Amino acid sequence: MSAIKGLAARMRALLFRRATEQALDDEIRFHLEQEATKNEALGMSPDAARRQALVQFGGLAQAREAHHDVYAARPVEDAVADARYTLRTMRRTPALAIAAVLTLALGVGANTAIFSAVNAVVVRPLPYPNPQQLYMVWEENPEKGWYKEVAAPANMLDWREQVDAFADVMGYTDMFGTSTLTKAGEPVVVKPALTTGNFFSVLGARPALGRTFTDAETWRTDQAVTVLSHRLWRDRFGSDRNVIGRTIELDGNPVQIVGVMPDGFAYPSERIDLWRPWGWLPVSREQTSFRRAHFLSVVARLKPGVPETVANAQLQAVAARLERDYPATNVRMGAGMTPLHEFLVGDTRLPLLILLGAVGLLLLIACANVGNLMLVKAAGREREAALRLALGAGRSRLVRQALTESLVMSLAGGAAGVALGWWGTRVLQALQPPGMLRVSTFEFDWMVLAYVLVITTVSGLLFGIAPALWSSRRSPQDALKEGGRGGESRRMRRWGERLVVAEVALALVLSIGAGLLVRSLLQLQHVDPGFDPNGVLAARISLPDGRYDTDEKTTAFFARLTERMRGIPGVEGVAGVSPLSLTGTGYTSDFTVAGWPAGTYGSEVTHRRVTPGYFQVMRTPLIRGRDFTASDRPDGPQVVIINEAFARKHFQGQDPIGQRIAFDRVPDSTSTWNTIIGVVGSEHQSKLSLAPEIEVFEPTTQSATGGLSLVIRTPGNPASLGPAVRRVVADLDPALALESVRTMNDVRAASLARERFLTTLLLVFAGVGLALAIVGVYGVMAQMARRRVREMGIRLALGAQANDVRWLVVRNGLRLVVSGLAIGIVAAFLTTRTMQALLFGVAPTDPLTFVAVPVVLIVTAVVATWVPATFASRADPASALRSE
Amino acid sequence: MQPPSSDVLRGTLDLLILKTLTLEPMHGWGIGQRIQQLSRGVLDANQGSLYPAFQRLEQKGWIDSEWRTTENNRRAKYYRLTTAGRRAVGTEAASWRRYVEAVEFILQTT
Repeated sequence: MSAIKGLAARMRALLFRRATEQALDDEIRFHLEQEATKNEALGMSPDAARRQALVQFGGLAQAREAHHDVYAARPVEDAVADARYTLRTMRRTPALAIAAVLTLALGVGANTAIFSAVNAVVVRPLPYPNPQQLYMVWEENPEKGWYKEVAAPANMLDWREQVDAFADVMGYTDMFGTSTLTKAGEPVVVKPALTTGNFFSVLGARPALGRTFTDAETWRTDQAVTVLSHRLWRDRFGSDRNVIGRTIELDGNPVQIVGVMPDGFAYPSERIDLWRPWGWLPVSREQTSFRRAHFLSVVARLKPGVPETVANAQLQAVAARLERDYPATNVRMGAGMTPLHEFLVGDTRLPLLILLGAVGLLLLIACANVGNLMLVKAAGREREAALRLALGAGRSRLVRQALTESLVMSLAGGAAGVALGWWGTRVLQALQPPGMLRVSTFEFDWMVLAYVLVITTVSGLLFGIAPALWSSRRSPQDALKEGGRGGESRRMRRWGERLVVAEVALALVLSIGAGLLVRSLLQLQHVDPGFDPNGVLAARISLPDGRYDTDEKTTAFFARLTERMRGIPGVEGVAGVSPLSLTGTGYTSDFTVAGWPAGTYGSEVTHRRVTPGYFQVMRTPLIRGRDFTASDRPDGPQVVIINEAFARKHFQGQDPIGQRIAFDRVPDSTSTWNTIIGVVGSEHQSKLSLAPEIEVFEPTTQSATGGLSLVIRTPGNPASLGPAVRRVVADLDPALALESVRTMNDVRAASLARERFLTTLLLVFAGVGLALAIVGVYGVMAQMARRRVREMGIRLALGAQANDVRWLVVRNGLRLVVSGLAIGIVAAFLTTRTMQALLFGVAPTDPLTFVAVPVVLIVTAVVATWVPATFASRADPASALRSE
Repeated sequence: MQPPSSDVLRGTLDLLILKTLTLEPMHGWGIGQRIQQLSRGVLDANQGSLYPAFQRLEQKGWIDSEWRTTENNRRAKYYRLTTAGRRAVGTEAASWRRYVEAVEFILQTT
């Protein structure tokens, strides 16, 4: 308490200096008058009384000065003076100041940008009330290899009713493709999320206009309803507040708009245009399929104060009971829960942390560089420092001044860095692969600014330490002696060299990290996707089920469409597939094969639907058997084609052709038996980094679907087919919209977007780090060459060849670089394993990278030292000797 | 009698001010007068040195100050002990006594 009062008094005195001094003067005047009055009372004349009072007081100026010394908090005043001094010297040597500030700005800017992403994605809590109560509830099944998987609706409903610790549970999906929005301007493809009625209330989200869903709307009601995202409302409805109650059409079905969400509500993702309640039929609750089909992302809100462990124990009990009660669907079906935020951050955490580590290294390198600049600067002022020491300046005072200088420098760099970082966040937002960072905008908040302030101050101390320590350990005699020549001390040189070694080591770690990612990306790009992506255009089309309500209509439409497209000049072949390769797997199921011992079955075969001719268009090899044809009719025998991975895994040594397969665990009289008619090469379904799954293809002629990706092969440039393809579709049905029109090569590139994004960023950071380190090497060698110019002159005078001298300098530079590399290799060896999960086909200690990157560094370092070396080799013996 | 040298006085000035203020809040001149009176004129402090001492004590949080009107209707800055100041008088006085005893002891033995 008293300490606070004292501090307050001191702050007051400092802040209101004039007022403080005025008050002191008033006080002294009062004192003198009192004293004079007393003296007069003792019989003195007024003049003598006043004079005597002044004598008694003992000197006004001294009192004022002593008073000032007490309140003025010397350290603060010194700091202000030091800061002023720094600004003055910065103005005197602007080149050095600019170099230091820019270098720091690079480091701080990169950190600001990356940290603002980390802050938005990982640090900042979800924007819902009491977000810590929200949990993602998921299913797992060791038999199917499921972990944190989407849940079956009947299971979710049981959790909701039976887990007491849950205040409420909702389920949604955004995986059911897209819808075509009509009756609101041009037809447009929109992305819906399908939700239970309590979706918004569990999150605690309120609409900006109208209402959200009611609990009853989980089930079928008379009126189909939707809630619009703020973006869709703005873009398609002109922010019309009268939109509530208006009826639009989604896939040809009338739907009433009941609400609009506020700007910023983007759950589950920013790609969602509108939300729709499931509208399940009440009877489905009792149907097996409601427990067999797993497609719900489930979010539970815990009751206030209930710990996770209690909720989880109850969830386990319910899951165990379901397993007993529904053996056909729930055997080995476990459940678990993860805090929603953690679940959503998921696998973006590692890349972001790796990036944060990388920019941290970058900042250290920048600090080392600036530290070197400060040393050079300090060397220039050596004489001054020595004089001050000799004249009795305290060492701590000199250290403080050196640190103040670096702090001023770092604050300037930090300010420039924030500006650069702000721009960097815009770049990040623009370049990030869609959906990778979950949030598309990351603003600066106080967390980011606090972070910047901390790293700025820490960097200031870091690069200030070398000059500060150096200046404090000087002995004035040495300094004055050496200072006479304007040279630099041996100790200082050693500091500079240490900094260079450190930054080479750091740059190497950074570059090896980037090198590993580059290697990994190259490996991925060489993975054979299982088809030939060149010359293929893909476009997704969804038929509104309102107007295409029978399989006949859909099949007929696609037949007509492919027919018309084949007529486009330059088109070699057209087919359809769902889902498109490299965009994710469709649904998976168990299966059993006729003739297998009773009770044996396989799990997790993925299903795709294709039109006849698909494999030919994609140039996916047909290994055995035949392709589908138009004569595989719905009423004929059901046929399927399997991929090679399936044949190898389940038909080892047998001929799969002619085998019959049912997609049930235990086949019964209702099971459909499908005959395998062909085996094709394995295509990668979701990612190039994942091996192809076992897969079965069904013909659209037998299992119709209204949503297909068209694949169109041309010998020419596939992208140029776009307009013609759109025209054909508009001709056939003007209310249809095409989406995701892009070449297969783009699809393939998009599947690597994450990897490419991360690699590019790391490569940029490594490049900057490497450049800074090389500049550091250059700087130190240039200093050395200048310093030893006389020695070189003597060597040359004594008959050394220019080459010998040049080599001497280069060798000195290499000595530093090689020490840095040695340290860096060890450090990289110890740290790159954190990247393991991000690497494909490359070990974290990949020998090629660990050899190639240091070689690159050595070569650039030799080039960098060549210039100062040449300078030294041209030393003129005569003038070098004269300059003494 | 010769007053003690000013260095010793300065070291003890803070303590004397604190002690004086234990009676009642007082302005700067009054404190100086009181010290002089109580010491029967022996401690005739350099009055100018009082003011830095006030500042010092205020920063330690031992006294605080406010502007008030004197009985003669003049504005003056009054100083007052804080709770911490009251505690400090005790400890400061004790350490002063130890100091004096030590000096006295040395004077007697040599």
